[in-house]
Amino acid sequence: MKTKLAALFLVALTLGGCHNPINSVENAQKEGQRTMVSDQRVVTDTGLNKSVSVVGLNTAMTPGGVLKVQAELLNRTKSLHRFSYRFEWFDMNGMQLTTVMTTTVADQIEGGESKFISAVAPTPACKDFRLKLYEAH
Amino acid sequence: MKNKIILPLLAVGAAIFTGCGTNAHYVETGGRESVVSVGKINSQDFIQAAGAATSDLLASGVLDRVKNPPAVLAMSRIVNNTGQQIDIDLLTKKIRVGLLQSGKAVTTTTFGLGGQAEDPLAKGIQQQEEFMNDQKTTRLPDFTLSGKIIENAVSAGNTRQSTFSFQLSLTDRQGLAVWEGEKEITKQGSKATVGF
Repeated sequence: MKTKLAALFLVALTLGGCHNPINSVENAQKEGQRTMVSDQRVVTDTGLNKSVSVVGLNTAMTPGGVLKVQAELLNRTKSLHRFSYRFEWFDMNGMQLTTVMTTTVADQIEGGESKFISAVAPTPACKDFRLKLYEAH
Repeated sequence: MKNKIILPLLAVGAAIFTGCGTNAHYVETGGRESVVSVGKINSQDFIQAAGAATSDLLASGVLDRVKNPPAVLAMSRIVNNTGQQIDIDLLTKKIRVGLLQSGKAVTTTTFGLGGQAEDPLAKGIQQQEEFMNDQKTTRLPDFTLSGKIIENAVSAGNTRQSTFSFQLSLTDRQGLAVWEGEKEITKQGSKATVGF
C-alpha cells in the first residue's frame, strides 16, 4: 500500500511538473528569405541538445552596418526547459571582442516550442560569432 | 559491524553538511552563478537591460542618421519608480560604454540637467578654450537619453513575482523620441537563490 502511494505521489509530481506542449501555425509562402549560415557545433550535453536544439542560424546586417545573428531553437521534449545563453563576438582577426553587451541571458522554452533568440554585434568590427547554451541551475 | 554502517553514514552526513555552505570565491559578474533575488534588481538585470537597450539602439540605425558622426549623446533624467534605492549609473554607464565601444556615439560630460556638468573641470576647460579662441566650440548633443525604471510586484501564497521594466527614450533636437526601448525582467520564487 505504502509503495503504491509513493509511486502515485511520484507520478503526480512528474505530471505536475510537465507543461503542455505548443501547437503553432504560420504562413506557408514566406515573403522574407533568411540568409542561413553553415555552422559547426560542439555538443557536450546531449540532454540540453535535445531540449534546446539549434535548428539553424541566420544573419543580417543592421542599417548601421552591424552584424545581427538569429538562432532558431527547438525543444524536442514535451516539457518546459530553462536555459541560458550568451553570444560571443570575434573581429576579422579572430580576436574575441568583450564588451558590456556580452551578457548571459536567462530564457525558457516550452515543450515542442520553436523560438528565436537574436543578438546584435557590439561593433561593426565583429565578423564572427559563437553561441553558447547552458543548462539552467 | 555497527561501525561499518555508522561510519559511512557519518561520512555522508558530513559531506552533506559541509556542502550546505560555500567558501568565498569569485564568480563572473552577471554570470550564471550570480545570486538571483526576487524583489530586487540584481547586477545581471542591469547588465541584461543595458545590453538589450544598446543592441536595440545599434540595430535601429538611429545613431547613424546624424550629419557628423559619431552622434553626441547627453544623459537626461532616468526616474526610479521602484521600491529600492538605485544608482542609475549601473544602467546608464553600461549603455554609454557600449555605445562608445561601438563607435556610433559619444557622451558629453559637460552638458547636463539644469546646467550641471558631470565633469565640472572639463566644462571649465571647455569654457576657457572658448574664451581664448573667442569662438564657441561646444557641440550641442544630437540626442538625449531619458527613461524610467518601474517595479511591479505580486504574490500568490508563498510565491512572489517581481517585474522590473526598464524604459528608455532617445530624443532628438526637435524633441522627437526617435527611438524607444523597453526591457522587462520578471523573476519568480519564494527566496533568493544562487544561479539562473
